[in-house]
Amino acid sequence: MNVCAADLHVHTALSPCAENDMTPPAIVERALAEGLGMIAICDHNSTLNTAAVQEAAGARLCVIAGMEITTVEECHVVALFPDAEAARAAGVEVGATLGQVDDGYEAFFGEQRVLDADGSERARETLALATATPLDVDAAVRLVHDHGGLAVAAHIDRRSFGVIGQLGLFPAGAGFDAVELSRHVAPGSPDEAEFAVHGLPIVHSSDAHYQSDIGAARTCVHCERPTFAELALALAGAGGRSVGDA
Amino acid sequence: MKLEDIARELGLTEFTPEVTGNAEAEIERGYASDLLSDVLAHAPQGGVLVTLQVHLNVIAVASHAEMAAVIFAGGRRPEDDVCAKAIAEGVSLYVSPADTFDVVGRLYAMGVKGNHA
Repeated sequence: MNVCAADLHVHTALSPCAENDMTPPAIVERALAEGLGMIAICDHNSTLNTAAVQEAAGARLCVIAGMEITTVEECHVVALFPDAEAARAAGVEVGATLGQVDDGYEAFFGEQRVLDADGSERARETLALATATPLDVDAAVRLVHDHGGLAVAAHIDRRSFGVIGQLGLFPAGAGFDAVELSRHVAPGSPDEAEFAVHGLPIVHSSDAHYQSDIGAARTCVHCERPTFAELALALAGAGGRSVGDA
Repeated sequence: MKLEDIARELGLTEFTPEVTGNAEAEIERGYASDLLSDVLAHAPQGGVLVTLQVHLNVIAVASHAEMAAVIFAGGRRPEDDVCAKAIAEGVSLYVSPADTFDVVGRLYAMGVKGNHA
């Protein structure tokens, strides 16, 4: 079994709060320099830039097409999809619930850049990605599963936008496949053990909004090769695959 | 102030008539928050919670804090599973069409105070 270093929560310049230099080529180069074998692109409520990062990476790096869904309770749910088409379809479904940006939006929240694989700007997204969807946590997890994806409860150690901060207790019945801890919880620390009680695999991800964040938190995926299918097995602890700190 | 009097004066719609025993409860304290981790930390025992949060966990949190009732503001209606859990836990659920600010203002005027009054 091989060990693949993964950062399963990276934003691009499509997310209004991410830096404009978070372009497909820049993200890929940084991830490779950091020794990562797998990243997931998870912009807020959109999957529009995932295919461009996959194209920029080619065979050099496994890029999972993902999305960070904001639920009606203002919980963040990281969705990881098996391929670009599943991600696109899920993105369309989520996007249909969002309103349009208004005049002051870009100045306040930031620009939403739809990018090509070479990093050039193709368009500006006009859906208000920074807002919450009307989906509750259960519905968001269901949507992800309906598209063949994996649902991860994002940064559950954080007071804001994590399911525990928003909902007081971990929503055990929602059907999450894993929980994510931010870079503020060190792998192997007593703080991490606190979050193991939910009986779900733990991933450490950077939630990168800046290039320098990429790989700042990472998960070791013990698998045959860096693919979505192998990641799914590792999160399920199946076939000798697993996720861990080292 | 008794819970049943509050419900009548505020024109609240009750979603848990099966819960008996709270109607006569004297409500002296209240709390308003949509962050359930915050409710867990600060909600006053025996009080009333005003919230927009209709997730099932609101019942677990209200029950843990031994709150008598939850008022959902802004006309947000709890789902059936939320009501069922509330009935099981003995927490009364109400819905007000008014927003949180107005519900809390009227409660305050009726003598229901926060933690620091």
